[in-house]
Amino acid sequence: MARIKTLLAEPLVLASIAILVLLAAGEFLSPGFARGDQVTRLLTVSAILGIVAAGQSLVVIGGREGIDLSVGVLISLGAFTAGNVMNGVNGAILPAVLTAGGVTFAIGIVNGLGVTLLRIPPLVMTLGMMGVVQGGLVVLSRGAPSGNAAPMLMGFVNQPLLLGLPGILFVWALIALAMWFLLRRTSFGYAVYAMGSNERAAALTGMPTGLLRTLLYGLSGLFAGLTGVCVIGYTGNSFISVGDQYVLPSIIAVVIGGVSLAGGAGNYFGVMLGAIALTLLQSVLTTLQLEFWGRQIIFGAVLLGLMLLYGRQTQLRV
Amino acid sequence: MPPALRAQGITKRFDAVVALSDGALTVERGEIHALLGANGCGKSTLCKIIAGTVLRDGGSVQVDGVPLEPKRPADAEAAGIALFYQELSLVPQLTVAENIFLGHEPRTRAGFVDRRKLEDDAGRLLGPFQAVAGSGLDLHTPVARLAPDQRQIVEILKVLARRPRLIIFDEATAALDRRQVEFFFRMLRELKAQGIAMIFISHRLDEVFEICDRITVMRNGATVATYPAAETDVNRVVHAMVGAMAEHLHPPQVERPANEQPRLVVDRARGRRLRDVSLTLRPGEILGLGGLQGQGQSALLRGLFGADPLDSGRVNLDGAPLRLRKPADAVRHGIAYVSGDRGRDAALHGRSIFENIAAASFIRERRVLVWPGRLAERFRQAAAALNTKYAGLEAPIGSLSGGNQQKIFIARWLATRPAVLLLDDPTKGIDLAAKADFFDLVQRLAAEGASILFYSSEDAELLGLCNRILVFNGGAIAAELSGGTMTALHLTRAAYGDAA
Amino acid sequence: MTGMSMRLRGRSWLVTLLALIVLVAVNAVLQPNLFTGTVLKSNLTVFLPLVLVAIGQTYVVLAGDIDLSVGAVIALVNVVTVTVIAAIGNGVGAVLLGLLAGMLTGMACGLFNGFLVAVMRFQPIVTTFATGIIFSGLALRVLPTAGLPVPAPYWRTYAGSLLGLPVTLWIFLTALLLVALLSWRPFLTHLAAVGGSRTGAFQTGLPVARIRIQGYVLAGLFSAFASLCLTGETASGDPLMGRMLALSSISAVVLGGTALAGGSGSAFGSVLGALVLGMIGNVIFFAGLPFEYQTLVQGLITLAALAGGVLVAGRQRW
Repeated sequence: MARIKTLLAEPLVLASIAILVLLAAGEFLSPGFARGDQVTRLLTVSAILGIVAAGQSLVVIGGREGIDLSVGVLISLGAFTAGNVMNGVNGAILPAVLTAGGVTFAIGIVNGLGVTLLRIPPLVMTLGMMGVVQGGLVVLSRGAPSGNAAPMLMGFVNQPLLLGLPGILFVWALIALAMWFLLRRTSFGYAVYAMGSNERAAALTGMPTGLLRTLLYGLSGLFAGLTGVCVIGYTGNSFISVGDQYVLPSIIAVVIGGVSLAGGAGNYFGVMLGAIALTLLQSVLTTLQLEFWGRQIIFGAVLLGLMLLYGRQTQLRV
Repeated sequence: MPPALRAQGITKRFDAVVALSDGALTVERGEIHALLGANGCGKSTLCKIIAGTVLRDGGSVQVDGVPLEPKRPADAEAAGIALFYQELSLVPQLTVAENIFLGHEPRTRAGFVDRRKLEDDAGRLLGPFQAVAGSGLDLHTPVARLAPDQRQIVEILKVLARRPRLIIFDEATAALDRRQVEFFFRMLRELKAQGIAMIFISHRLDEVFEICDRITVMRNGATVATYPAAETDVNRVVHAMVGAMAEHLHPPQVERPANEQPRLVVDRARGRRLRDVSLTLRPGEILGLGGLQGQGQSALLRGLFGADPLDSGRVNLDGAPLRLRKPADAVRHGIAYVSGDRGRDAALHGRSIFENIAAASFIRERRVLVWPGRLAERFRQAAAALNTKYAGLEAPIGSLSGGNQQKIFIARWLATRPAVLLLDDPTKGIDLAAKADFFDLVQRLAAEGASILFYSSEDAELLGLCNRILVFNGGAIAAELSGGTMTALHLTRAAYGDAA
Repeated sequence: MTGMSMRLRGRSWLVTLLALIVLVAVNAVLQPNLFTGTVLKSNLTVFLPLVLVAIGQTYVVLAGDIDLSVGAVIALVNVVTVTVIAAIGNGVGAVLLGLLAGMLTGMACGLFNGFLVAVMRFQPIVTTFATGIIFSGLALRVLPTAGLPVPAPYWRTYAGSLLGLPVTLWIFLTALLLVALLSWRPFLTHLAAVGGSRTGAFQTGLPVARIRIQGYVLAGLFSAFASLCLTGETASGDPLMGRMLALSSISAVVLGGTALAGGSGSAFGSVLGALVLGMIGNVIFFAGLPFEYQTLVQGLITLAALAGGVLVAGRQRW
């Protein structure tokens, strides 16, 4: 019994079980839910969430209450930038990706500098940045949708490329590989875990914690920008609040995937499972025809429940 | 009439470490009672148990004959006990007056803070000190702006404002100058006349003999003796504190060429807690830093590691000047720092043993790519050098006992092949077997030519391991012990200042 | 009062006051009729909700916590109030009961937040973020779409006058009086003590958890006041009301000289901060800047205030 309990507390196991249960529930509620093409569709949506959650997970693993609430507007900004750079032209896809990623990376770095140099709490800093970028987007776009995805990009995200799977899933796999390499095969990754686990101890081994943390926020921005490119590829065009819906799920996916909000623990495979589980949950809730408010409450409750499991602070003692 | 306080047979363990095996203390009404003992003897733990901030494992405490079972500080406070905290309980943003009456603000009938009474009362308490407090100690000043001695005065007044009947002064005079101490003592005598019982802990023996009626001495977690102050003297008290300590074994001196260049030269290092510290450390030498806790030993080690950079002073390593602005500067020059506060300064909680060892090597070697398989063998050797017991490099650090964890954090630095080891009370809270392994290793490293600066809060460790000992007092080196003067008696005397 | 004036001395609220004066001057140049009764009254009506939320947020921030759910609390209080009034029958008695229900709702939300943060020891930032989601979900549950007008006595009273002065001014003055009364209680010192040094407060024997909960309850109550004012202005229910007020309230608190780390500051400063934010909107409007710039400029000013506030607070470490 005790072993089952510890096994259930293992985030990877928990997320996997959640995925299976949700698939079964979906199939039960609406036969065909777990069919191949449906699963591919779900995976495509999960991939988009998974890519933004990659950046979010880095920031959270890095510790000191790390969180990035600006990913939503950075997705919108990425989609907006990419859409306007390529404007439906296949040849402009690469410059579009580079511009979108560059811009959002730079904004992420500004977040990081605010958190490290000015010691503004990450949540407040990124929330403030959210307001700025949102305002900037309104000014840039004058409130109207602009920019179009190139047909090739849309095909890449939506149409089967290889083995019946769309290209974006291969990109996701590549990102997973890159995240694994970054976190487990470079000293950067080891330092990120060390810093998230105990920043003081990490600094006392000589690790440049300020620089590392700034880079983490930059990477979070970069991943959000790339997600923006995927989003415009998925929908064809963008509107200025297209990224808002990803902020909360990116955090929940990270927490479901076993990344402790206290920092220093978790890995990207867990986060991928978390993204899939969350996408499934959303899909099942939609199948249930649960209204928006119900989904909101369930999301909030899931987040609070996960806080209970992973996010408690130490008791006051002398 | 029962005594104001009677504590008997108090025991307390922190994990594997026994802090108190038999703590006892009896204080009469209107008595100032000194509690003395070498570092780590358990006197602070005993006081915290009486004040309710630490729960005891066994034994009994009676206040005026009534059993006391405090669960939290408020319970002890209700029984009339007040503990002087070394400025830990002040809120920097609040004013002096607000701090003094925090939680006990006088109120008007409407339930508002009676500012006038608050200030009058605070002013009355502060009055006697005003003449010696220096400029800026005003009722309306935020505590953050006060000097350390002024904060200490505020902390004292805060204790008095509670009108306690038993007060524990733990190093209450540490930051005060002589004139301030005199005023403080005048106040203590007044309290004494009112029948208030006081426990007085100080590292200044002259003060103890000046103000205290009786003296209780503790050693190794147990109370060993109580003397009336008038019937004893400094020598007897110091001997009781030191006990029949086994005469240490002088470590084998490794012969080194006399003209060998010193490894590390520190010239007039200054910092927040350091006053002009100079020293020379040779290859193969174990240089001890002694004295009471908090006299600048840690500040020096952390300064030399770049963790709390020195304000001024020169540091030369192997003849070349060294700039130490951040730990990486030190690590890349082969300087290692082992802290005794493992949980705070060293442990990467929740991470594997491999990661805990690897952390410093990345910086030392400016490594970018990490191939765990290739590093594992080296790390295993480093851990084996200390007889570390662990399941495997992938096991989490938390699966190890405190002693084995500390071995891992030392292995972290062994893997970087350091030339200079800065040991900052590294054996705090680890078991005897682990200590023995650790001392073996330190001697071996010295024999291989590493230079070691070793601060320990346990005098026996310094005496048993070091070639020389620098005794710190108030941020400066007060004495240097070597050869025949390396005895417990000399060390305790030097630590307690000129009085002994 | 001396103690409080001490805490205010040399703080950034003086700068904020100066900024307010400059903004008023600029506004007066751009809008010559600024000092006429109607214009002042309409300005106060616009600023009042933020002023009230900012006051409430101050008590949480003083204790070293943060409340991101205030925006959602405003929405929830609004829909509860209008629903209760409509259900009881739109009379004067119904309005009073509705107001009471709204205030109780706000305090209940604050109690919930405080319990999770102070007793369950959840991390305040993510917790109030999550409870905010739940509260807005509940608001949507109570009233799915905007509408459901409040009876005339409600909004007429709110827009009317009492003893020759506008009701909004009375509310403003009452709020200031409440702030003053609170600042004379030992409670405020205790709140600052908990935020300034949690261990110090604990060792002194203060009931730390209870004090933090009280801070959250006050934030909930003042959010409820803000919501009831907004309801008087819009005269109807809106489950999306107050969305941007969480961030704005934190900005106002920081502009008002309260340290985000807790321990020092005052609600009067936050009032100034809220007025400055409101005046910025005015100036942008009357300077003929397109409306789109408002979010951007406000976001930039908020970030600048955060950075400045942290820099000021950072200098006095001990």
